[in-house]
Amino acid sequence: MKIKHGILALMAVGLFNVSCNNDDDENNIPLGVYDNGILVVNEGPFLDGTGTISFISEDLETNESAIYNKENNADLGNVAQSMRLIGDEAYIIANVSNKIEVVNRYSFEYVATIDTGLENPRFLVEANGKGYVSNWGDTSDETDDYLAIINLTTNQVEGTIPVALGPERMLVKDGVIYVAHKGAWGTNNIISVINTSTQEVSTTITVGDRPDSLQIDDSDNLWVLSKGEPAWTGAETAGQLDIINVSTNEVSSTLEFGSTEHPSYLNIEGDDLYYNLGQDVYTLTTSATSLPSTSILTHTAAGFYGMDVNNGRLYISDAGDFASNGTLSIYDLSTNALVKDLTVGRNPNGVYFNE
Amino acid sequence: MTRKEKIFSLLVLFCVIAGTFAQKQSTIVLDEAVLTDAKLKAFAHGVKVKKVKDTLTEKNSVSLTDALRFNTPIYFKENGYGMVSSPSFRGTTASQTAVIWNGIPVNSQLNGQTDFNTINSENYDEILVRSGGGSVQYGSGAIGGSIHLNDEQKFNQSLKNELLLSYGSFNTQKVNYTSSYGTKKWTFGLGVNYNASDNDYKYLGTDQKNKNGEFSNYNVNANLAHFIGENHLLKLFHNTYFGDRNFSGTLTAITNNNYKSITSRSLLEWNHFSAGFSGKLKVAYLYEKYKFFINKDRSEFSFGKAKNTILNYDFKYYLGDIKLNAIVEYNYTKGEGSSIVIDERIITSGTVLISHEISNKISYDVSLRQDFVKTYDSPFLFAATGKYNLTKFYTTTLNASRNYRMPTFNDLFWNPGGNLNLLPESSIQGEWGHILKKPNYQLQVAGYYISSKNLIQWRPPKIDDVETPKLDGVWTPRNVDSSRQYGGEFEFIFSQKFGKHFFDWSGVYAYTISEDQSTGNQLMYVPKHKITSNINYSYKKWNSYMQTLYAGKVFTTTDKSSSLPGFTVTNIGVERKVDFISGLQITFGLKINNLFNKAYQNMAFRPMPNRNIQTQIIIKF
Repeated sequence: MKIKHGILALMAVGLFNVSCNNDDDENNIPLGVYDNGILVVNEGPFLDGTGTISFISEDLETNESAIYNKENNADLGNVAQSMRLIGDEAYIIANVSNKIEVVNRYSFEYVATIDTGLENPRFLVEANGKGYVSNWGDTSDETDDYLAIINLTTNQVEGTIPVALGPERMLVKDGVIYVAHKGAWGTNNIISVINTSTQEVSTTITVGDRPDSLQIDDSDNLWVLSKGEPAWTGAETAGQLDIINVSTNEVSSTLEFGSTEHPSYLNIEGDDLYYNLGQDVYTLTTSATSLPSTSILTHTAAGFYGMDVNNGRLYISDAGDFASNGTLSIYDLSTNALVKDLTVGRNPNGVYFNE
Repeated sequence: MTRKEKIFSLLVLFCVIAGTFAQKQSTIVLDEAVLTDAKLKAFAHGVKVKKVKDTLTEKNSVSLTDALRFNTPIYFKENGYGMVSSPSFRGTTASQTAVIWNGIPVNSQLNGQTDFNTINSENYDEILVRSGGGSVQYGSGAIGGSIHLNDEQKFNQSLKNELLLSYGSFNTQKVNYTSSYGTKKWTFGLGVNYNASDNDYKYLGTDQKNKNGEFSNYNVNANLAHFIGENHLLKLFHNTYFGDRNFSGTLTAITNNNYKSITSRSLLEWNHFSAGFSGKLKVAYLYEKYKFFINKDRSEFSFGKAKNTILNYDFKYYLGDIKLNAIVEYNYTKGEGSSIVIDERIITSGTVLISHEISNKISYDVSLRQDFVKTYDSPFLFAATGKYNLTKFYTTTLNASRNYRMPTFNDLFWNPGGNLNLLPESSIQGEWGHILKKPNYQLQVAGYYISSKNLIQWRPPKIDDVETPKLDGVWTPRNVDSSRQYGGEFEFIFSQKFGKHFFDWSGVYAYTISEDQSTGNQLMYVPKHKITSNINYSYKKWNSYMQTLYAGKVFTTTDKSSSLPGFTVTNIGVERKVDFISGLQITFGLKINNLFNKAYQNMAFRPMPNRNIQTQIIIKF
């Protein structure tokens, strides 16, 4: 066990900053030590390491690294792709390890591991009391992609729904799942619409190339931001923002980017949408009929790797040189000024809110 | 005159002088013609060149990594045992160590490196480790140092055959056969090897095993030499290696990869010489190809291949204590792959070397080289080395050089990301060495300093960078960092004989500082301290040995936020020779690797083997 302990200790550098073990206090804090704060998913290196979760307290004063590793004395898994908070649980997807670690979202104590029925898992959503995980399947096979259906009580895969190439991020609206097919190692340009009562794809909607992120506004419009084909493919296409009417599942309007512009990370808060283009962050309202021409802020990131908006704040995950600890930069959206830079784990790609 | 013109006029002048004079130095000339790589000695007076003991490769077997790990300052990073293995020599990067096969550089044209686990070291007559810069003589990548694999042509030698059979833990199997023969005019050498292992060792301290780590490989070496008359010597060298490996998973990831590779190297040399001069025309053809199966159960794979043709003419002129040498070379490479559209590169180069033995005590050499490539300016290379035998026992050496590492095919042509605007990495260095030689011990100390700039690093795209196109998340190589290495190497050999008892002990200590010049951080995977020790004890027909390796802590991130602890590994072995009948000798051997069953890693999350046993029989006839 020696080596494992050694590595754990090393992977958890920074954990020593936090003074004591909280075991004694647990009974007094109903929701656990990691309530009221930000959980950062750090992918970790490909193959040669483990993904980690950082915890940052709401006041941004406490910054604890590798909390899964610390609480469970084990490595989380390789390439922590994403996380989903459902009820008291956090579902953390380890893409290369082909598994999902289920923990109590407040204590980060181990609950279960889902490690059968997954192949290149990406993201998880909850619909009608079940979990749905987008899977690329074998990356050499462009026809075996699927959603795994998770029984959230037994934490086991109980079925699959075959889908088109490269399912990535998903969004649930009234028991219907919208799956963005970014295309895995290839490329795709559709949204699959899944009926969770029949567990089948009811229709697909064509959007821009490589749909990256999707959001729904208060008027039930589904916004899909597509990156477009990058230049190196030799068939570059522009990014685009499609607005889909979820009652008809048709694209009602499209906002087009410049021919060499490839935006990503669409977020929404209230009536405001946010996205990233280059080093810049742009915003538009849900009533906009054209794209903004000026950015609200410029983040001189070395490795822009994720962007999230919550409660008036913008969180940029910066992976730096991808061979060292990353940085989480927090901006105040009322002033667009930097609030704080925090050191997080390797290759941070997104934040989640325990509130 | 431009630099190019200057060098060529120098070459021309040199040939004119050479044609005019002739002196009787036939024995030296002949000796050097027979040597596989005379440059290693003739133009490197002040360079540290260490011979890896013949017996050592047999003890360590399987790969060049094993042969060098326990007795050189070089640190190896292995993706698990038998997997991709890259060296860090004097703290430099994997592509800053050159591997030289019979005088020809053989680092991959695709990635600029040699995977030391794809070289079978067993058959070579000589393995030499040349420390420090050697680009003037050996081209791209000889910055930290170079490893030389030489076949010797053995004239006037009766037929010698050797068969080695080995079996051990993890179903590890090895078969080697070597044969050599030489008459006055002909020589012949052959070596055939087969290695295979399930390689499913335990990950100590866990309930996991090394999964998907199986490997096997075949290797053939062959060489011929023939004197055509007194003044012409033809030599032919060949090596083909075929490797089939799965790529091991890690502590956190399971893999299902497979990697098949083939390398084939052929070299034809025509030496012609007479009193006072010698000329050598070399034609070499190198072929490499790999196939990578991300899922070994499926037929899809990605591949890369390169063909490299080298034409080299080397003219040497002997003028008393002075040797003059001029070399012109034409080097053509064609590469292609799943991610490389067929592309080619032509490099021509001119080199001048002068060596002068002022007396028995003092000698020095100076050499200059310029490469010419269409796409970038190659740095003007130089080397100056000197040696002074201060006393009968003590020698001091000094050298300084500028060396380089050119962009590889992957760096230039990879799609997406390849960058045609790359410059070669350029490095200058200096070294001061001391050798103390007494009848039963030898002590060698060297201090060096290397400063490299324009290091080629693959990085995520920089959005504000106008020189590289917007790549949208695609990594691209750029000349970004500068690094600095300095340190010391201490080596000793001690031997003692008491009657029929023979004892020898050799050790190496390397202290290495290798920093990013902008952050001052120690580079990843470079231990500050490495110690090796080899103890041999023999009595009559028994021989026993113990090898120990200590490598200090290494950082696994650029910001020093993660590291691997240092480790010590010890192997022991015993051998017994039996002479059956005249001309038939059998040696039985038993070796225990990782005697103390220590868990260790030299790459993060990739444990190395637990304690294991290998048995072997060597039959000489």
